[in-house]
Amino acid sequence: MTESQLDQTYTALAQATARVGEAKAPLFLATLSLALMTRTDAAEALALIAQAERLANT
Amino acid sequence: MNKSSSTPWPARVPVLIAGGGPVGMTLAALLARYGIASLVIEADDGYCAGSRAICMSRRSQEILGWVGADRPLVDKGLSWVGGRSYFRDREVLHFQMPSEPTQRYAPMVNIQQYYAEEYAHKAALAQGGLVDLRWSSKVSAVRPQTDGAQVDVQAADGTHTVQADWVVACDGGRSTVREQLGLQLEGTQYEGKYVIVDVVQKTKREVERPAWFDPPSNPGSTILMHRQPDDVWRIDYQVRDDEDPAEAVKPENVLPRVQSHLSMIGENEPWEPLWISIYNAKCLTLPSYRHGRVLFAGDAGHLVPIFGVRGLNSGLDDAGNLAWKLALVQQGRAADSLLDSYSSERVHATRENIAYGAKSTEFMAPPDYGFKLLREAALRLTTENPAVSSLVNPRQSTPVEYVNSPLNLSDQESAFKAGARAGMPAPEALLRASGAHSHLTSHFGAGFVLFYFARQPGLPAALEALATPDVAGPAALKVICIASQGQANANTLIDELGQAHERYDAEEGTVYLVRPDGYVMGRWREGTAADVQVALKRLTGQPCAA
Repeated sequence: MTESQLDQTYTALAQATARVGEAKAPLFLATLSLALMTRTDAAEALALIAQAERLANT
Repeated sequence: MNKSSSTPWPARVPVLIAGGGPVGMTLAALLARYGIASLVIEADDGYCAGSRAICMSRRSQEILGWVGADRPLVDKGLSWVGGRSYFRDREVLHFQMPSEPTQRYAPMVNIQQYYAEEYAHKAALAQGGLVDLRWSSKVSAVRPQTDGAQVDVQAADGTHTVQADWVVACDGGRSTVREQLGLQLEGTQYEGKYVIVDVVQKTKREVERPAWFDPPSNPGSTILMHRQPDDVWRIDYQVRDDEDPAEAVKPENVLPRVQSHLSMIGENEPWEPLWISIYNAKCLTLPSYRHGRVLFAGDAGHLVPIFGVRGLNSGLDDAGNLAWKLALVQQGRAADSLLDSYSSERVHATRENIAYGAKSTEFMAPPDYGFKLLREAALRLTTENPAVSSLVNPRQSTPVEYVNSPLNLSDQESAFKAGARAGMPAPEALLRASGAHSHLTSHFGAGFVLFYFARQPGLPAALEALATPDVAGPAALKVICIASQGQANANTLIDELGQAHERYDAEEGTVYLVRPDGYVMGRWREGTAADVQVALKRLTGQPCAA
């Protein structure tokens, strides 16, 4: 993904997160994560889950 | 000359510039260089107070160079090339702006705005008495007419009415001229606020732009720092959403935060505050910068976010774009429709600047829950995954390409694979001249320039004959041969480093026509004198520039 594609998708994700609102944001982000996980393999998905959990607690 | 209040007021002027800030002053100097007299009306009694805009881009240095104001700026200012961003106490980004040992100017110079105003003013005075600057005077009414405008000016000795062929509004974000014409800026404003504070403190720290997200000194905030000359720090920090702006700028609320941060980064010399202000990001523009005989430049026409330093820098680009066009029109060498291209090119530039500025603002002052949450995620992830670090990049100001400008000659573009398209800034290159070195951009800012690329020195006679050495101002055409090897002379530069041939995608016989503001107007693989004459005739109605 190029920098400008990252910019574009970052902005789209932020705007969609704001639209669904704080209450439904966890469900929205969980659905998105699940969909993205199906695009990769289990080893990578498990590593990303571990990383996100670690970073969420910092 | 700088007139005293007893000097009579002119009844009629070619150009009245409302506002003697950095944009108005630079425009006056450029117009004078092109032979056009102007009357500059400035409400203050001197240069601005507070340091205000401090980051001058390479392009701005180049524009100030057209009137000789670059040297004092570079000598006084602090040049820098990059910066670092920290999340808490970890460095998450080290960015570098394009920079090379052969460059003419550093990508950025930090300097207080009042110095930039002073240097532009001195440059205006040096252009031979064509600039009449009136301090402590204010435009109070503008009555547009088909062939000019009548302007009322309030001065210490009463109100004066001046008839101007052209009025240029450089009177800032709260422009009186804009209000007089009943025009409104369109766009969005962001809620997030930043306190801007200048403090004086000695430091040995490298000149670069550090930024901290959620620093231990001020948890939850974002802090930017810049060094300025005279031992001054610019510190910008984000204010909490629930803080009252009026309270936020009180010294008792500002100084402890500054102290905490200076202590955190180990800057322990004594310090004191100089200037405190508050800011919220705005993405606003007029839809057109030309309204008959009234033109808008700088903050009077557009307000862009400070993140990425596109405010004053885009204002100086306005002045650089407008000056040569207005001079050609006022001298009767071009139709006034040329000024429509000023508006369309610079409105396009503002929209680009706003797009970049909005992206920066959404990161630096997240406007809603979505952007706040995503920033929290991005800052954490960037500590482990550099692929997202570009999101933290401040996206510094760069010159904007004038895509689809009516002035672009695009028919020959398919013959080129690289280099600068019509509508792009003509690239820099260091060449050998007779006696010394010469940067290509040092030939811009006067008239049109034609580059003819060849292996050996020698211009085709028909191209050489296009040169107008006796013409001054923007109508002039300078013809330069850029040869790969051989001896330099008055109209031959030697591209011994190969920079020019590479950056212009040049082959034997390639011709570039560059506008007085250093933008490429057109290029040809095998350009002939007829091609160039047609191009200039389209612009000026005359076969030669003169």
